[in-house]
Amino acid sequence: MSLSEEKTKANLQKIFYPESVAIIGANKVPGTVPHDIILNILKTDFQGIVYPVSPREKFIAGVKSYKYIVDIEDPVDLAILVFPSSVCHLALEQCGKKGIKAVIIISAGFKEVGGKGIMREKQLQEIAEKYDMSFIGPNCLGVINTDKRTNLNASFARKMPEEGSIGFLSQSGALCTAVLDYAQSKHIGFSKFVSFGNKADISEIDLLYYLKDDPQTKVILLYLEEVSDGRALMKAARNIINETGKPILALKSGRTSEGASAAASHTGSLAGSDEICDAAMKQSGIIRCNNIDEMFNKAIAMTYQPLPKNNRVAIITNAGGPGVLTTDAAIHEGLQLAHFSDQTTTFFKKSLPTTANIKNPVDVIGDARAERYNVAVSQSLKDVNVDGVFVILTPQSMTDIDTIAREIAMVNSQYNKPVYVSFMGESDVASGIDILQRNKIPHYSLPESMCSAFACAYNFASHKQIEIEKGDLDAHVDKKKAHNILDNAIKEGRKYLPEYMAVDVLESYGLPVKKHGLAKSSDEAASIAKKIEFPVVMKVMSDQIVHKFDVKGVVLNINSADKAREAYDSIIRNVTELKPEAKIDGVLVTEMIPKGQEVILGIKRDPSFGPVVMFGLGGIFVEIFKDVSFRVLPVGKNDALSMLEEIKSSPLLHGARGTKPSDIESLQETIIRLGQMAMECPQIRELDINPLIVLSDHDGCYVADAKIML
Amino acid sequence: MCSSDVQSRVMKVMANVLKIDEAEISPDANFIFDLGADSAQSLELIAGFEEEFDIEMDEDKALEIQTVADAVVFITEYVK
Repeated sequence: MSLSEEKTKANLQKIFYPESVAIIGANKVPGTVPHDIILNILKTDFQGIVYPVSPREKFIAGVKSYKYIVDIEDPVDLAILVFPSSVCHLALEQCGKKGIKAVIIISAGFKEVGGKGIMREKQLQEIAEKYDMSFIGPNCLGVINTDKRTNLNASFARKMPEEGSIGFLSQSGALCTAVLDYAQSKHIGFSKFVSFGNKADISEIDLLYYLKDDPQTKVILLYLEEVSDGRALMKAARNIINETGKPILALKSGRTSEGASAAASHTGSLAGSDEICDAAMKQSGIIRCNNIDEMFNKAIAMTYQPLPKNNRVAIITNAGGPGVLTTDAAIHEGLQLAHFSDQTTTFFKKSLPTTANIKNPVDVIGDARAERYNVAVSQSLKDVNVDGVFVILTPQSMTDIDTIAREIAMVNSQYNKPVYVSFMGESDVASGIDILQRNKIPHYSLPESMCSAFACAYNFASHKQIEIEKGDLDAHVDKKKAHNILDNAIKEGRKYLPEYMAVDVLESYGLPVKKHGLAKSSDEAASIAKKIEFPVVMKVMSDQIVHKFDVKGVVLNINSADKAREAYDSIIRNVTELKPEAKIDGVLVTEMIPKGQEVILGIKRDPSFGPVVMFGLGGIFVEIFKDVSFRVLPVGKNDALSMLEEIKSSPLLHGARGTKPSDIESLQETIIRLGQMAMECPQIRELDINPLIVLSDHDGCYVADAKIML
Repeated sequence: MCSSDVQSRVMKVMANVLKIDEAEISPDANFIFDLGADSAQSLELIAGFEEEFDIEMDEDKALEIQTVADAVVFITEYVK
């Protein structure tokens, strides 16, 4: 851990566990942020000393107030700034002089408003650096620590949440209050609750590392509006998951394609920042959620219950229809219906009514009361073939809902296997749901959400170690040659490399390029064609020509030297006639690639995540369906394979409808080499290989066209 | 009008708006940080200065005034 990381960690400890707190800019006006923060701290039984600091008040809420923070004689661990932004720097400077190391800046009016706000935020950063302070915010709701040793609600949220094991980090303060309200209604507790606002000093990365070591936190939830350092986020996530096994669930807003609109290549237009963020989260083991409901549905599963060891579930229901719905949802999520052991089947035969369905899903029949549920759930949990139990209940006239809820909680506490419950309905089942939630039994209104949460927990449990693949092959790489070509092109003022140069760069990284040469006369074309194997293809090379076929600048399937001469002449003639202004660099003669599966590969540099690679099938799959996958580089063999498997049209690569399977291994290697090239050649801004022709098994793949943007 | 006149009249307005003793106001006192003006009082101060000096101040610029000294410089320019 670096000195600066150690300092941040120590200062964060003071933010979460202060022995004394000063609220700077406090006032006596109810309904204002400064006043409500003091009240929140006082009414939640904070286990430390509170110092209001106000230029005018002598006391606030019965507590002695100080004019300046420096007037307080005793040391202060944490300062909360609630002054208007125009004077926050004065308050922060005094905090520094007082020796305070931990600060929360609630005030708004900084980077988020632009102009002067940006300058003010920078001023805060400079002061903090001068005094070795750390601060959360500005422009945030504050911080809550439910740990009884501290009991700190240093925020202007309406309520203090219940104590729990979920650490919640949010860039949006307003979302925090909504989440607190939502969580309270479901008895979801938090360990730490942080609104980090503009993250001008302490970022989500610092907070993630803090929660990694926080014994009260089992699951981390993260709401982000923008990722400032994507690679650091990925590193932190992998580190936390690999070392502690704590799941990280994230809600990231901004799923729009605006960022992609100005892109210069195919890859650029397909790789919006959100798609890349999605890929990065997957690569680093972060579970990305689409909404708050989904995030909490999954979070409570992983917080309240043990992670499933396998995916075989037993469904216990008092109604056939919901049992079938749950079965469908479970299968859809990739779960398996458990096959009960003979012992369980015999037991069910003996213990359940003859009308009951004793096979999975087990229907304990509409008149089932708590005792029958107890029998079915207990026995299922005992069965070695069962990894988790789903309990479904619909409210019949004789259903003793509350007792069943209590019984489920009691049974659950006796086994180390997950039990998830869905009491279907609303008002009749409300008190039963409340019992379940108070007893930390994950409850879901819909069986679909229940199955999705279980699948999420299972997938997390089975991939807990997030591997980082090295992503370079070293062999057959001529980095110097590639750099020479790229540097010279930049010196010449080129914005992109013409194909005849691009293929040379690709070739220097061992990417599969067919033999080729640039001809400047018909005789040279014939000579090159003779050197490389027939048939060859010939293409005009000109910076002014984007679509070579449109100017009749391509001739395919040339079988002899004479035909090559003819082709050269006809290409020059056609282009001169159809595009007279074009400056022709020559004609590229390339060995013809046999027919195969066309795919697209690309590189793009994301401002937050750095270089990324894209893969997709060519043609309409890219153009219309945007069926592509991304990975943040570097990628290794497994990453590359998962990219191929991820796209919807991947069966085509495996030989669908009578076609031969494609050479997956060579495709994997090409992706890795391309990744290595992108990592080592920062001159490449974007790149498209479109198409790459993948031949059938063991025959390799070849670049048919390439475009490199500088 | 000399700047010491402006200063004494600025302090009078401030004492009146913020309901504090004039003696508590130093020339480099910050309205918010030292004297505890809230946002409504900041607007009242502008109105008070306008009335006292019979001028009309640009509100955005006026709100940037942080101290007595700032106010004196700003108002002296206006009065000129």
